[in-house]
Amino acid sequence: MLEADVEVDRREFRLSAAFGVAAGERLALFGPSGAGKTTILEAIAGLLEPRRGTVVLNGRVLTRTAAPRRDVPPWQRRVGLLRQDPALFPHLSVRQNLAYAPAPGTGREEIAQIADRLGIGGMLDDRPARLSGGQAHRVALGRLLASRCDTLLLDEPYTGLDASLRRDLTDLVRELVAGRQVPSVLVAHELDAAQAFADRMAVLDRGRILQLGPPAEVVAAPASRRVAELVGYRSFVPVADGVPLPRGGPAGVVAGVHPDRVVAGRQPGRGVVLAGPVRSCRPSGAGWEAGVETAGTLVPVRLREQPAAGRDFEFTVLDPPCFGPDGTRVSRPEEVPT
Amino acid sequence: MSWAASPPAQLAGSALRRTVRSAGGVASLAVAAVIWLALLGPVITLLAHLSWHQVSTALSVPGALDPLVVSVESGAITLGVLVLLGTPLAWKLARGSLPFPRFWEAGVLCSLLLPPLVIGLLLIFMVGPYTPIGELLGRVHLSATNTFLALVIAEVYESAPYYVLGAQAAFAAVEPAIEEQAALLGDRPSRVARRVTLPLAAPGLAMALAVAWARAMGAFGAVVIIAYHPFGIPLQIWTTLQETGLPTALPFALVLLVVALPLPLAAYIWSARARGRRRG
Repeated sequence: MLEADVEVDRREFRLSAAFGVAAGERLALFGPSGAGKTTILEAIAGLLEPRRGTVVLNGRVLTRTAAPRRDVPPWQRRVGLLRQDPALFPHLSVRQNLAYAPAPGTGREEIAQIADRLGIGGMLDDRPARLSGGQAHRVALGRLLASRCDTLLLDEPYTGLDASLRRDLTDLVRELVAGRQVPSVLVAHELDAAQAFADRMAVLDRGRILQLGPPAEVVAAPASRRVAELVGYRSFVPVADGVPLPRGGPAGVVAGVHPDRVVAGRQPGRGVVLAGPVRSCRPSGAGWEAGVETAGTLVPVRLREQPAAGRDFEFTVLDPPCFGPDGTRVSRPEEVPT
Repeated sequence: MSWAASPPAQLAGSALRRTVRSAGGVASLAVAAVIWLALLGPVITLLAHLSWHQVSTALSVPGALDPLVVSVESGAITLGVLVLLGTPLAWKLARGSLPFPRFWEAGVLCSLLLPPLVIGLLLIFMVGPYTPIGELLGRVHLSATNTFLALVIAEVYESAPYYVLGAQAAFAAVEPAIEEQAALLGDRPSRVARRVTLPLAAPGLAMALAVAWARAMGAFGAVVIIAYHPFGIPLQIWTTLQETGLPTALPFALVLLVVALPLPLAAYIWSARARGRRRG
């Protein structure tokens, strides 16, 4: 179990975050660049001291700013940190890299087992300079496993690798976390990366955790307009009584439209129906992304089939979250008893 | 300061072909060759003007090799002093962990930029017999003028900036992320230094040390003023030249080269190979 409650002063804001991660659980800290995600990991790893807070790992107090103060140095924390730079030791062979921090009981055989498990068994005698990016990351991961760290912190380690490699490595880490039953935290600025890894997701913005929950729930029911924006809601249309209003509707309540959470056609039972002329259309993935002008704004939607350009197009926004003028979540106006 | 390893021969060949294809390329190659020959010219001249007979005659004079012993001993002690005092400073400069880093760097550059003769003059005023430091030394029956100690002091002043700046570059080239990872894997700072920082900086440190050695061996400007005695090789070359002329001085020039150069050459070859291995 990893429990962190830290406050760190940053130039633009004060970071303040508290969360717990159970053994074997995978938490994603998701947010835009500069939200303070990496700072949280560094505070857990002991690389920076928070101005206030506590970090407790499996009952061991690693950081406590209140009396009795405690600040365990990084080399005694048994915290594994993986960054985008695998930071292998270039003067040591792969085998020596893996065996760098021999935990009691980690023999030559276990190193070989870890290497085989990670698919790097054939390159134990190579120098890191000979490895590809994906192989280097496998060695870095193996090095943490051999060190028997008590928690795994991943700071966007696989950004920059190609998609299939990223998927393989993410699956590998998931399995290893489950096998070792260590708490793990992934920092991600891409929603997809966070969803691929985590069972729980914390949305972080300007040093605050705005929402914490299962990834599917966070995306389907964002707690505020800001969370909605961060998880991919790209347009907000005024609504009242469950129907769209013309521009500048009086109620001030808007429905968030996620381009992926729409279906073509009128299905009033499933959400809010919008209509308007198709202003733009381009291929996106296996389908199409169209810009539909409705309620005074251009609403991007992703569709399976190409809509006819220039023609009026009717679509249903599936169960959209609604937000009041201050950005807080409100229930759909039609659900408010009047 | 950086000493890059030369590219593999195959690459060098294709680079050559690309260069000679244009007139400008040929011209720049010619200029480079002229400069290279001019720089190497003195060494070639030395070898061309020396006969084995000359060398053996000059060196068979009783006591002829005493300055060699003095130079090697003082040089070795100088290197020891530089490693002990210069390495921590270079590390701190590289990590920017000193307050007012520019201020500290200026101190190092000062001894690099001051002409050696001026350093010698100023050292007299600093550690000479009638100065506070000189009097302190006198109390323990030491003197920092015209003694072995004076020779070491002069050599340290002339070679220190080369070592400190070279070592600083060597440490700066070690990525902090790698040291951070070593710490997170359980190494306390002293172990990180021993297992990661020093091995990674070693090729650069060796080069810095080799350059400092060559400077210490050849130190003359400060030495001639503060440590005329005991003679090291540079002073022996100078006095031989004054007393008996050019031909008798040349063999000692060869001795100086033979003593001063092997360490830098060995360090260069070793560090180039070490870097090559790390690059894969």
